[in-house]
Amino acid sequence: MSTKSTISTAKKSPAPKNREAQKRETRRRILDAAVRVFARDGILASTTAAVAVEAGVAHGSVFVHFESQEGLIVAAIQEFGKTLSLRLHELAQRGAGTREVLEAHLKGIREREDFYAHLVVEAPLLPDEAKTSLVLIQSAISFHLSPAIEADRAAGRIKAMPLSLLFNTWVGLVHYYLANRELFAPGASVIDERGTELLDHFISLISKGGRR
Amino acid sequence: MKTCIACGMPMTKPEDFPLRDESRDYCVHCARADGSMQSYKEKAASMAAFLVGTQGLDEGAALAAAKAMMACLPAWSGRK
Repeated sequence: MSTKSTISTAKKSPAPKNREAQKRETRRRILDAAVRVFARDGILASTTAAVAVEAGVAHGSVFVHFESQEGLIVAAIQEFGKTLSLRLHELAQRGAGTREVLEAHLKGIREREDFYAHLVVEAPLLPDEAKTSLVLIQSAISFHLSPAIEADRAAGRIKAMPLSLLFNTWVGLVHYYLANRELFAPGASVIDERGTELLDHFISLISKGGRR
Repeated sequence: MKTCIACGMPMTKPEDFPLRDESRDYCVHCARADGSMQSYKEKAASMAAFLVGTQGLDEGAALAAAKAMMACLPAWSGRK
């Protein structure tokens, strides 16, 4: 009897490997749901209860995987940064030029535009760790953009100017359009509607002789 | 795919690893010339210099941001 009971219990409990996979899957589901809710409601206005509903998990389950709402926000920003960084890394490895890297930057933002626009607008109000994660994202972009700029500069295609000002001019332009997207592309993606225009303008600004 | 434990960079090709040694958990940018990993102080200084050069941050703010970013990475977890 006791043997039967033991066997029965063993059958009901998933193997440790499966449990681990399930845990990862649930964490993934919560994180994806969080990004959707942050994109829809704003980052600071969102609640963990709304994330749980979106993910289809119990509210308590959110805190099994993320120690706090702040931890969830930071994880969502880091996940976005990781995806963007990987995209740019692959491009940089292929020796892409400045325009191509900037296009990839816009494409990466486009994939999570609503989320990223909230991130840009709410950044000054976010917890310190979240702000740090945003700096880390900008670092990943500038890290992969730098070799492309140096190569274009060495080839005489773009003007000599401090890398920091060049980078901040680009980010400032993109972020301004994202923060005011209802003015520039009401009800639509500002990256879809104005991205090429911004890219053309920026390349024209940095190119020698204003070439595109 | 590995990501560097010291700076978070994806490591997808042999050139990303110190001395092209793919068994290392840190990237070529976090290694010294002999292939060993940079110290916390060295990495904080190089990361801060990078932030100043590429994003124009104030030096003190850059060092604080570098240390905060490093605290999130496995090699420096919990260090301030």
